[in-house]
Amino acid sequence: MNQNPYLPELATLVEVIEETPNIKTFRVVLDDEEKMRNFTFRPGQVGQLSVFGVGESTFVINSSPTRMDYLQFSVMRVGEVTTRLHQLQAGDKVGVRAPLGNGFPVEDMRGKNIVFIGGGIGMAPLRTLFLYMLDNRADFGDITLLYGARTPVDMTYKAELPEWLGRSDVRTVLTVDAEYPGWEHRVGLIPNVLLDLAPSPENAVAVTCGPPIMIKFTLQALKKLGFEDDQIITTLEKRMKCGVGLCGRCNIGTKYVCVDGPVFTYAQLKALPSEL
Amino acid sequence: MDRFLAASQLTALADDLAQTGPVLAPIAEGGSVVFRWYRPGMRIELSRMASTSPKAATFPQTEPLLAVRREGEAKTPTVEATLPPRSRTVVLGCRPCGARGKEIFGPVFLGGVHDPYFARRREDALFMAVVCTRPETTCFCTSVGGGPADTVGVDVLLIPVEGGFVARSVTAAGEKVLAHALFAEAGARSAEADAVIAKANAAMPPQDDFRTAPEKLLARFDDKDFWERQSAKCISCGACTYMCPTCYCFNITDDDLGLESRRIRTWDNCMSYLFTLEGSGHNPRPTKAHRLKNRVSHKFSYYPTIHSGTIACCGCGRCIKHCPVGVDIRAIVRAAQEYGG
Amino acid sequence: MVEALKTAIAERLADLEMVIGWEMGFDALHATPLFIREEGDLHRLTLGPLAVHNLATYLPGLKGKKVGVVVKGCDSRSVIQLANEGLIKREDITVFGLCCDGVISHRKLREALPADLGFVEQATWHSDRLQAVVAGHAVEVRLQDILADKCISCRYPNALAADVLVGAARTPAPQPVPCQDAFDALPQAEKLAFWEATMARCIRCYACRNACPLCVCRDHCIATTRDPLWLGQENSPAENFMFQMIHVLHLAGRCTECGECERSCPVDIPLLLLRRSMNRVTEELFDYQAGTTPGQTPPLLTFQVEEARINERGW
Repeated sequence: MNQNPYLPELATLVEVIEETPNIKTFRVVLDDEEKMRNFTFRPGQVGQLSVFGVGESTFVINSSPTRMDYLQFSVMRVGEVTTRLHQLQAGDKVGVRAPLGNGFPVEDMRGKNIVFIGGGIGMAPLRTLFLYMLDNRADFGDITLLYGARTPVDMTYKAELPEWLGRSDVRTVLTVDAEYPGWEHRVGLIPNVLLDLAPSPENAVAVTCGPPIMIKFTLQALKKLGFEDDQIITTLEKRMKCGVGLCGRCNIGTKYVCVDGPVFTYAQLKALPSEL
Repeated sequence: MDRFLAASQLTALADDLAQTGPVLAPIAEGGSVVFRWYRPGMRIELSRMASTSPKAATFPQTEPLLAVRREGEAKTPTVEATLPPRSRTVVLGCRPCGARGKEIFGPVFLGGVHDPYFARRREDALFMAVVCTRPETTCFCTSVGGGPADTVGVDVLLIPVEGGFVARSVTAAGEKVLAHALFAEAGARSAEADAVIAKANAAMPPQDDFRTAPEKLLARFDDKDFWERQSAKCISCGACTYMCPTCYCFNITDDDLGLESRRIRTWDNCMSYLFTLEGSGHNPRPTKAHRLKNRVSHKFSYYPTIHSGTIACCGCGRCIKHCPVGVDIRAIVRAAQEYGG
Repeated sequence: MVEALKTAIAERLADLEMVIGWEMGFDALHATPLFIREEGDLHRLTLGPLAVHNLATYLPGLKGKKVGVVVKGCDSRSVIQLANEGLIKREDITVFGLCCDGVISHRKLREALPADLGFVEQATWHSDRLQAVVAGHAVEVRLQDILADKCISCRYPNALAADVLVGAARTPAPQPVPCQDAFDALPQAEKLAFWEATMARCIRCYACRNACPLCVCRDHCIATTRDPLWLGQENSPAENFMFQMIHVLHLAGRCTECGECERSCPVDIPLLLLRRSMNRVTEELFDYQAGTTPGQTPPLLTFQVEEARINERGW
């Protein structure tokens, strides 16, 4: 990372993908070729995207470190920076400060069965780990991906879903909240579908991300299925500014989500003060 | 090394120092005393503790971080870090607590991450602190490790004696300043200065023992009723954080100036609702009770837990004295410590 | 007076979640808001010249709760104004009104003492003066010399629309505020120069905003939002003054001149100079003083095709 922790790398948007009415995916390449070549990160680490003159926001790098043609970020339009990002096109310049944060404990997950449970934009941090595991398939046991959104329209990574569904070495299950014309997959809330799938906690790790209400009920479902607190991994959203543990807003007690997180096991979260 | 500065020479010293670098001094202005970048003609006021802290010397309220420039229609901007210019900065006439306050930044800004803006300002700053001869009702420096003649973070201690100050160097940089021609032999005044310090220390009220504060505050974390009562009178403004010598939380925002823009760092306030408001609309600290809990716990629990017991407070009492409604941080910590007997 | 108030509060406390009054604060020269929840809290209640805070400020934040509040005459106007704007429900509030002899300006007191307020060792109030020991010096200060400016010009010393009124009613004797007249007499260029210099001292801590009983946007104030983006976060006289002007104008026809903005300012910016000027204009244009008549609609919340005192088409 740069000497000056606030100084972003100039980067070019090489592709902008419209995922849903309010989510776009941005593929970014650092302008400095050498830095791009040497760029490394862990799945789950985040980056700050700058729109100069507007500001900076934090997003997970949802491409995989095994596929380094570009860095990918998926952005929901919710505020000032994200609105301006949505107006940008391929060829436009942004700033990138990355990687930041801790990432998933990939080493500890080797040899385990993996259960991904993603809701809405919460699929972004799972995507990076999911692709990483597909590219290192032999290192992991059974892989299940349960991905849900409110409606099919709200589903991100639509272009990739057929490939994921078609693979025989992973079990991909899609669900939406309610019946929808033309929808051929599951209908039901994620926690209910999860209970129905009933993945075994034996030698398994569950990785989940999504809106707070989904997380709440997914945790209950996982507990019901017999998953222990340290077998459940999630990644947190917090308002961030500096991204390097100084500016003081993303702490939960003594832990700074931008440095000590955003990835935590449920066991780690339980040991922290309850301020999610 | 001890030297003597006649009270009548204080202005001359400020005038002289200001010729070779910025001088931050407490200035009487509109009935208030605030730290200002000194210019000849300003009145330095040492009889009252300044309302604001000398924090601006090492952590200005507005710090330009980056300058971004775009030429015409070109899509590629140039992005430059706007580090502060190198120049010795003298803080003349703060109190020892104010000099100590910036030391709280060290483990954070110069620890795991190196903040080049703070680092440069810290290296270039020289603190000449006046010994407090008498505590105010809001002073509690001795309860958080400081004292009226504390030398932590101080380069030169100015000890009030008859007719002026004994200037006692604490660091090598401080000793260099004392070579200035305006300083005279201290002679017998050194002994007088020692007596002043002894008397000042003796005048301090009994200390609070905050050693159990980290665990006791954490024990109250989920006690909504406790924090609602403690924060009932708080109006959730930022007077406490902005007057505080140790509060370091900041915001980063961009100012768009057409073809140019700049990214600035500004003081931010953990008592503000927007401080933690997330993009989704969720706010982990939605009420003033949540926010005051974080403010007090950061200073007296989280920070000391992370940084080997050091309390992130210098005991200057500004947060109490300038709170529009008299919230007393000492009383809140004590209430947590004494909770349940 | 305080005993009568305690009795009145004790009688009604069972029906209320809390009653907001004052108690002595961190030293002998400072009172602080007191939230009385049970009778055991009542002995802490205090009144007098140190009861400077306008406790109506807390009411919008307690909306939906049955709450009692102790108010001076000036503070009672905030209760009326808040109710008139629908920001509180008047029927939820029990108003314990005082007939007020005036409160002090801590700024004036500081200037009257031989050392800063924080060096107080003892303080005793008599009806018209303060006896204190400050930094080892015994001093006596007359209340009339340290009265807040708003008390000098006070037109409503007795609480309006009180459910319980305590104390003997006083006859108002408003005097002009000297500093306002002097300021108003300055040429425009000098006024601007004054504000440019003074706003350089502002640290944008928003104590003035949050202490204001009518400034209810707080968490969503345009001073800090990025959407809309009206103000940058740079601390400069221009941005600071812009914020203060927005603050003043958002209070047009609403400000009751309680003075909490100025009192709360940690760097002593005389913000009432702006408020009084604006209130003079709203009084001239609309014959209106905010918070004096329950049920009245504030002039900027309503509309008349022909405003009696605005000559729009008088050519």
